[in-house]
Amino acid sequence: MDIAVLIKQVPVSNNVSVDPETHALIRASAEGMINPADLNAIEEAMVLKEQTGGKVVVFTMGPPDAEKALREAMAHGCDESCLITDRAVAGGDTIATAKVLAEAIKKYGKFDLILSGALSADGATGQVGAMVAECLGIPHVAEIQSIQYDEAVPDKIDAVKKVYGERFHVRCALPAVLSVNFGSNVPRLATLRSTRAAKNKPLATYTNADLKLPADQVGIPGSPTAVIDSFEPTGGRMAEMLEGTPEELAVKLKNMIDEEKGKL
Amino acid sequence: MANGICIFAENYNGKLEPASAELVSAARLIQETTKEEISAIVAAKDCDTVVEELKGLGVEKIYVVKTSRDILLQDDAASEVIAEMLRKIDPSSVLIPATPTGRSIFSRVAMKLNCGLTADCTELLVGTREDGSYYIKQNKPSFGENVFVTIITREGYYPQMMTVRPGVYTAPEASSENSAEVVYMDDIAVPDSQIEVVEVLPTEDTTDSILSSEIVVVGGRGVLEDDNFALVKEFADKIGAAIGGTRPMVDTETIPFEHQIGQTGCTIRPKICISLGVSGAIQHTEGIKDTKLFVAVNTDPNAAIFKVADYGMTADLRAVLENYLKL
Repeated sequence: MDIAVLIKQVPVSNNVSVDPETHALIRASAEGMINPADLNAIEEAMVLKEQTGGKVVVFTMGPPDAEKALREAMAHGCDESCLITDRAVAGGDTIATAKVLAEAIKKYGKFDLILSGALSADGATGQVGAMVAECLGIPHVAEIQSIQYDEAVPDKIDAVKKVYGERFHVRCALPAVLSVNFGSNVPRLATLRSTRAAKNKPLATYTNADLKLPADQVGIPGSPTAVIDSFEPTGGRMAEMLEGTPEELAVKLKNMIDEEKGKL
Repeated sequence: MANGICIFAENYNGKLEPASAELVSAARLIQETTKEEISAIVAAKDCDTVVEELKGLGVEKIYVVKTSRDILLQDDAASEVIAEMLRKIDPSSVLIPATPTGRSIFSRVAMKLNCGLTADCTELLVGTREDGSYYIKQNKPSFGENVFVTIITREGYYPQMMTVRPGVYTAPEASSENSAEVVYMDDIAVPDSQIEVVEVLPTEDTTDSILSSEIVVVGGRGVLEDDNFALVKEFADKIGAAIGGTRPMVDTETIPFEHQIGQTGCTIRPKICISLGVSGAIQHTEGIKDTKLFVAVNTDPNAAIFKVADYGMTADLRAVLENYLKL
């Protein structure tokens, strides 16, 4: 089974602010990391690869230094990688981004399965995987807990999805997109050796000259939505601050808890 | 010309999801300015109760596709049906609950209609363009701590579609005196789906304890220092609380993922919430609702958690808890 995994670099720290003029993200540090849920998607891909053979190709769209995230993904076991980097596709919303990713997947080759993390730690829209599926005209199952593949039913994939307080066992025809929940498995670690090996694994770089998407379909011009403002939340609400030594605070805390517990 | 505010009536087991009822209130606030009609769309096999519930909430029109089979989790088919409904209804805006089902189906709908989808709005306001036409300002928390952004659907793209975070708006009181026009869109066919629900598995939900607990202790980065977790656990046991936490607690496997509270975790509604060593990133605080008593302890007097708690203590959680356990 050949698998594509879509990953995203997210800021390491939550301490980011927004430029008041451009509303663009200012990161406290330039450091990025692979979105945690995407590591769970990579892990699912690794397990399926061990079971079925085939290759795992990891895709990301971002600035040239997103290569770091791809190398890291390959250190976790992905075989090949593809970086889509072009100013023309930057700044797009989920619709414009999904079009680019879908086109890159199509150009790269045929895949039986496409995996992504369910939600990113930064934007957390959870939309791009489903949108890529729509672009490719294939089904998707979002926010799944686990994946199972049965060689006896080679054209389908099984997944468990938790929603409405229930666990649903669903079966989806391949090719398909599945988005994997954060924490649904324990990703294998990269070793020194796998990290070194990842340096020599293939990395394809696409620009929009390769994808040939119309300029008005990608990046900011291709985005139906736009960020027009950023602000600090208003409402100067503030907790009533309690003073005292730790002993006194402990007593105050106990009194408050006991009083409220009495009302339960 | 696109006109009307349309809400997506998400339903499960023949019942309207509470998050969809809340959207009626959001729609009414928009309606105050735009005077547009509020409608709801339902696409389900078992929809009679849902239609009655929607009538009671005071929507003016209900568009229904009564499907011949259950399309639960068949997002490929459901999105096709809903996109077709929206093409016919031609609303200016569509409000969707920011739930797994809402974002999954409408991601496809947005791509089919090429209209954009703003995620997880916490406030919807109406803006007026120079030509007098209205648009919706879609406010949502963004990246990191305490930054909000306003997103708009650019002029010319319709409908304006957005998912709205559950729990932000309060559902209107239902009244049997309300009535609505029900429009059955029988000409919309339900396509085959590539997805089938094989079975509903027995639940093995470890989140139950945290979701149902009336008392919750929430730990943050501060708990990870110096073996504080053991102390927190002892404290939680003493007051009979479940333990939840923020991202760092999960990342270090101090607590299971199911107990992460906030945007990517669960939303809790305990009566009593004691927050220990939590900085208060918006992604986390959005996950705590409707508390009766919310006390936060943090060494940083400027911690954002103090903006959401009822009572705050600028103190070392270790010192406070050690003393508490002696009481």
